[in-house]
Amino acid sequence: MLTNNPMVHGHLSSQAVCAVDYRDVSLHELMCIVRDFVHLGHRLLTHPLSGSVKPNETLYKSIGITDQPEAGLCLSSLNIIEHSIQTVERFANIKKPIDSNAKADLQLVDFTLILSALDSFMPGQQTFEALKHPAVSPLDPPAPTRL
Amino acid sequence: MRLELGYIPITDIQFGDVSKVENGVLTVDSKTVEALILKDERIVSVKVDIARPGESVRITPVKDVIEPRVKVEGPGGMFPGVISPVDTVGSGRTHVLKGAAVVTTGRIVGFQEGILDMSGIGAKYTPFSQTNNLVLVITPRKGLGSHEHEHAVREAGLKTAVYLGELARDLVPETVEVFESLPFMDGLKKYPDLPRVGYVQMLQSQGLLHDTYVYGVDAKKILPTIMSPTEVMDGAIISGNCVSACDKNPTYVHQNNPIVHDLYARHGKDLNFAAMIITNENVYLADKVRSSDWTAKLCGFLGLDGVIISEEGFGNPDTDLMMNCRKITDRGIKTVVITDEYAGQDGASQSLADAHESADALVTGGNANQVITLPRMDRVIGTEEYVGIIAGGWDQNKHEDGTITVEIQAITGATSEVGFAYLSAR
Repeated sequence: MLTNNPMVHGHLSSQAVCAVDYRDVSLHELMCIVRDFVHLGHRLLTHPLSGSVKPNETLYKSIGITDQPEAGLCLSSLNIIEHSIQTVERFANIKKPIDSNAKADLQLVDFTLILSALDSFMPGQQTFEALKHPAVSPLDPPAPTRL
Repeated sequence: MRLELGYIPITDIQFGDVSKVENGVLTVDSKTVEALILKDERIVSVKVDIARPGESVRITPVKDVIEPRVKVEGPGGMFPGVISPVDTVGSGRTHVLKGAAVVTTGRIVGFQEGILDMSGIGAKYTPFSQTNNLVLVITPRKGLGSHEHEHAVREAGLKTAVYLGELARDLVPETVEVFESLPFMDGLKKYPDLPRVGYVQMLQSQGLLHDTYVYGVDAKKILPTIMSPTEVMDGAIISGNCVSACDKNPTYVHQNNPIVHDLYARHGKDLNFAAMIITNENVYLADKVRSSDWTAKLCGFLGLDGVIISEEGFGNPDTDLMMNCRKITDRGIKTVVITDEYAGQDGASQSLADAHESADALVTGGNANQVITLPRMDRVIGTEEYVGIIAGGWDQNKHEDGTITVEIQAITGATSEVGFAYLSAR
């Protein structure tokens, strides 16, 4: 899981759900890092434009890719990440400040979107149910540590 | 399946001691509505308000809009699997308070969506400026999680719509419209020379604030399936989608899907409306592949000649849209896709986040980045606190004279991808 969302990093790492590569970078930079991985032979597992919050209205993105590179370039992954980067750049022309009070909510929405993908990828895992349970507050993530 | 929709026109809404419908006036006993909603322990307070067409009123942030309906004949009740017990709806008779709507609003997360102006230029961009609206401003108990909060607001709206719909149970409709879908083979025999046209409706299904429910089932968990369009008119599909105000389908739009209505209008004349297929828009790419494979397979099994595909949302669903279009086209079936555009404020940029050459017949709901300045309203129901940070808004977009400048993506229903909107081409 490539993410710049501390909430995703905190929860998925602490639960050992999957390998998490946290980067303290912008959404656009994260997408370019994902594109680099695609060129190295990794495939996209989740859509980079998940959610309806527009790329200029959030800071956070989490994108699942295969953990091991494969021989050859996955052209459909490349097509999707290139189109997604173009879309992010198009929205970058419309500057919008991000309300600091909204940051936790933006992290939460990105987190729940990626949980829905993990539910599909590994259905029925108790880990995800536990993460959704109110006893584990998604608004209070563990402090991030860079991998 | 054969469904009669009986329309009771509503031309005004007001508060009163007893809820009733008389001479086109919907009178609402707000105390009963409040008590109904406060039965839910997750909600600490609700303010029930009214907004009529032409009034200087802004409702924001809008979560859902619902049309009050009641089943008077035939199996099942309204919103099966959610409010009524699970049963197959879509046959018999349903009464509709046409011209009335329930609108829910409240803070669920700190960035919010959905402006609904009842007058001024903004009113021309949303169909819900023309309905007599009962507005619920809902406050949850402290500490309630976002998932539970969204669920509570969603249920409050649906329960209120059912309560109002019940007022129409014993009324005589002014007009009755009949919708009938024949079993597939019967339709084939009856209209052997007409092209068989299907409708593929894509449902938003990505996670919190991005969900849709079918008979109570989270749409991200479904495999694409066939429905009678009349089932949707009885509330089989409800919206839990609170993000992307301009192109999400509120429950009202599912109940009144214009693609369904227009296909029925031409059914038996120049086409045979053979099937409605619903599919989802998940985040996980393998789900997209599976769902689009399945959708195309169903279109092939049904021997369709043409398919209309409608999208819901932006970005991620553009990929589902193109997968569906490509795979259905590959089976020799003609396709038309309906979407909206994020083409930049000048309208000059690439509109979609994905593309395929098979999508060569496309209808747009409009450019969501189009900029508009909305006049000051005398009264705001909800809060304007978020108009600077909602989708389509920005910092400093509130001006000294009380006007606000936003992109039309901030307006509920402005660029509907099923065409339930006012924008058109000249």
